Amino acid sequence: MAEVDQFDSALDLLRRLNPQDTSKHLDSLISLVPSLTEDLLSSVDQPLTIARCRKTGRDYLLCDYNRDGDSYRSPWSGEFETPLGGSGVGGVDDQGNNDGAGEGAVPSERVRKMEIRANEAFDVYRELYYEGGVSSVYFWNLDDGFAGVVLLKKVAAPSGKSKGNWDSIHVFEAVDRARTAHYKLTSTVILSLSTNNENLGEMDLSGNMTRQIESDLPVDDDTSHIANIGKLVEDMELKMRNLLQDVYFGKAKDVVGDLRSIGPLTEANRDRATHQEMIDSMKR
Amino acid sequence: MASSELDIVSAFVEGAPPGELADVIADIKALTMSSPNIISQLGPAFEKYNEEQFTTVKLPGSSQSVIVSSHNSLGDGRYYDVESSSSFAFNHSTQKASAVQSYVLESRQADLVKSVLKSLGDHVKEHYPNASYGVYPINNDSEIAIIVAANKYSPNNYWNGRWRSLYIYSPSSSSLTGSIKVDVHYYEDGNVRLLTTKPVSASVSSGSATAIAREIAGAEKKYQEEVNRGFSNLSEGAFKGLRRQLPITRQKIEWDKIAGYKLGQDIGGGSSRR
Repeated sequence: MAEVDQFDSALDLLRRLNPQDTSKHLDSLISLVPSLTEDLLSSVDQPLTIARCRKTGRDYLLCDYNRDGDSYRSPWSGEFETPLGGSGVGGVDDQGNNDGAGEGAVPSERVRKMEIRANEAFDVYRELYYEGGVSSVYFWNLDDGFAGVVLLKKVAAPSGKSKGNWDSIHVFEAVDRARTAHYKLTSTVILSLSTNNENLGEMDLSGNMTRQIESDLPVDDDTSHIANIGKLVEDMELKMRNLLQDVYFGKAKDVVGDLRSIGPLTEANRDRATHQEMIDSMKR
Repeated sequence: MASSELDIVSAFVEGAPPGELADVIADIKALTMSSPNIISQLGPAFEKYNEEQFTTVKLPGSSQSVIVSSHNSLGDGRYYDVESSSSFAFNHSTQKASAVQSYVLESRQADLVKSVLKSLGDHVKEHYPNASYGVYPINNDSEIAIIVAANKYSPNNYWNGRWRSLYIYSPSSSSLTGSIKVDVHYYEDGNVRLLTTKPVSASVSSGSATAIAREIAGAEKKYQEEVNRGFSNLSEGAFKGLRRQLPITRQKIEWDKIAGYKLGQDIGGGSSRR
């Protein structure tokens, strides 16, 4: 019970402290309460790191779901790449399979086939929506279906003194049912923006937001899964982009206006009073 | 190991968003159950936090909030306020004031301090719905510190905000230097933070209290307009450059035909692959 409370407190703290420093705070929390290490690493999203696949020369993204110790599995070659330059098949058991993500998990042959197609599909998606950036999709087997993560990362081309970073992390489960599948999607977008100039000084607007949905969709064959996951992620990203726009440029700006009024308050109060008088007179 | 544990939780305290120190302390307590003494060692961290954030506090029996900063510290956890001619004890971990006593400012700059307080008050009341402000002689009466701190907390709606300005006026050089900082936290199903900082530097040749207040009012108005421009620039620039709302075709993807899309040819109207 105590451990559950500590986990909740760690998450609450991460929701309060500067989201720019989440990785640093995560390290601090782990050294403070080492027993939380695995739970925190698997549930706290951090900005994604880019690596280059040695076999194909293509960039891919690193996360806890394609990790095996210090090695990471490239979605393009399907092989684990060690930091020292070696490669291997990861922690496969005697039967040649391994459930769950991380710890060297590799998908079964059928799921790897879907994973290859999903990587091709989201590569197209990435180009259409991000016009650059890097995408990676990792699948793994579940007892009653499969699960996966769709990752997208874009660093804005430097324009003037503004900087921008977008990381999307979509984790899903697909549970097979008769002619349909039940999908559960948890999506996090980490968005960091900053700018500076002589008149403005430093301005940093950064953070992350998370949303969840569940949906039952028809499935004819494995191709249906790719289309279903594609639609779910596309709809979710559209929704989240609008939400981020509202919070970053609407809500945050409104709060600044609540703290300090550019126009004199007596004038604003007078306008409000006049407005109220008009409403009152119309009621009469 | 013990000292690094203290460093870690001190950094957590320092990073507490506006109005959320008590929440951060509660989390720290839960996370350090194995070393229950650690909270009692956080005194310096709490003091640093309150003095740097210009924490505002209502004095017992008063409705007006006063400021806690290094510039009005009397030492031993006591602070003073010129406007109400009082000093008070401040508990840095609970952020409550007590033991109010009368305090008469004795300073070569007492007249300037009082007239700047009056002029600044007119400006603050006209632009801040909820702000505290203070003026204090510092550095052996050679300069005065001017502080404005505005807070708005709405934890039920998952947001809190703080605006704080600090200016140092030097009568001998007529220079006004300082900084404006804005801190906004939004945390409904996420964690979004606006952090800004802007150095201010001006010369107030007449040296009068009204001229000092006018200079501050002008700098703050100009700054707020810049921040609003900053929001628009980030929205129209960096944000739009990261991810399109819809593909250039203005249509969502036809996922059933995704295998048929050819990168760089059929899609993006020829403008893809930059």
